[in-house]
Amino acid sequence: MRPSDLKFQKSHEWLKLEGDIATVGITDFAVSHLSDLVFLDLPNKGASVTAGESFGEIESVKAVSSLYAPVTGEVVEVNSDLGDNLEWLSEEPFGKAWMIKVKVTGATAELMDGAAYDAHCKAEG
Amino acid sequence: MIVDGPGDAAWNMAVDAALLELASTPTLRLYGWSPHAVSLGWFQRFDDFADLPPDAVVVRRQTGGGAIHHGDELTFSLALDAALLPGVVAQSYVLLHDAVVRALAAVGVTCRRAGTGHPAAARPGNRWCFAEPTPEDLVTARGKLLGSAQRRLRGERPRVLHHGSLVLERPALTPFVAAVADQQPVTAALRAQLADAIVTELAEVLGLAHVVGSLDADERALASTLQREVFASADHLRRR
Repeated sequence: MRPSDLKFQKSHEWLKLEGDIATVGITDFAVSHLSDLVFLDLPNKGASVTAGESFGEIESVKAVSSLYAPVTGEVVEVNSDLGDNLEWLSEEPFGKAWMIKVKVTGATAELMDGAAYDAHCKAEG
Repeated sequence: MIVDGPGDAAWNMAVDAALLELASTPTLRLYGWSPHAVSLGWFQRFDDFADLPPDAVVVRRQTGGGAIHHGDELTFSLALDAALLPGVVAQSYVLLHDAVVRALAAVGVTCRRAGTGHPAAARPGNRWCFAEPTPEDLVTARGKLLGSAQRRLRGERPRVLHHGSLVLERPALTPFVAAVADQQPVTAALRAQLADAIVTELAEVLGLAHVVGSLDADERALASTLQREVFASADHLRRR
């Protein structure tokens, strides 16, 4: 069950906005499609991210997938333990497997609520 | 589809990257490597290959997985919209690999998917792609026969670049691989038949008709830029 206070991007990132700080991760749907994860590359604290553009990469089953920022801003915190504990993404994709926290300074990508995201996942199969 | 001869490593990777970015129709490209080269997976550390021969040509792929010594092989890339493949990455390998199994059978080479009992993904410790098959990989009793890897773009235009390396003759740096030559003499006729069979089977499994084409002007221009600025650059090669 996905938490109700999240917004979602078509490319399967989730966002939780608290004040001007956005916490970002990838959804259970994304994790299930990627399956066994082996590498993760996240930006450094202080990096700039732009809504709709790649902020990192993840590898599973010899496939490298880009991760897309749902907001524009500055990375103020990185879950640096996640790379060594990729099983967290299967266990708690919306909890301890958060990826970055961004201080929002600009545009937000087009985001969906939970119901719209459910429909999007069904359409992708 | 695009049929290229053996090409330079950086050019090969640049063309595939350009097709991933720009190709307006699903594009299958067949090619080889001249000179022979080692390609590293996207996440691999350059320093882990310090023992390669000093004259080895090395390039970093956009796709994941382990390193491949590209000797005499039939390499193919497939650049297409993600919607044309199963969304579950492992299932997309099954679809494409089963097509390659049928293509190989058509020229008298038998192989099968490795199946359970193998790790689901290449582990960082296994630096060579062919060292340890995943369940979806194609194997013979001799070892792994086909190396595969992907790059997936999930942005506004979800896309997939799929790389396949089918070993014809066993390359020097990875003597543990299987090769088509284990089962059939690799003649010019066999190369042609195998290429035709792969095109036919991949097109069928994707529900597409195939026509022979070539890079358009924009794809060629982007490939030239990417060859020069990315895939032939030491910074890119040593980015990890």
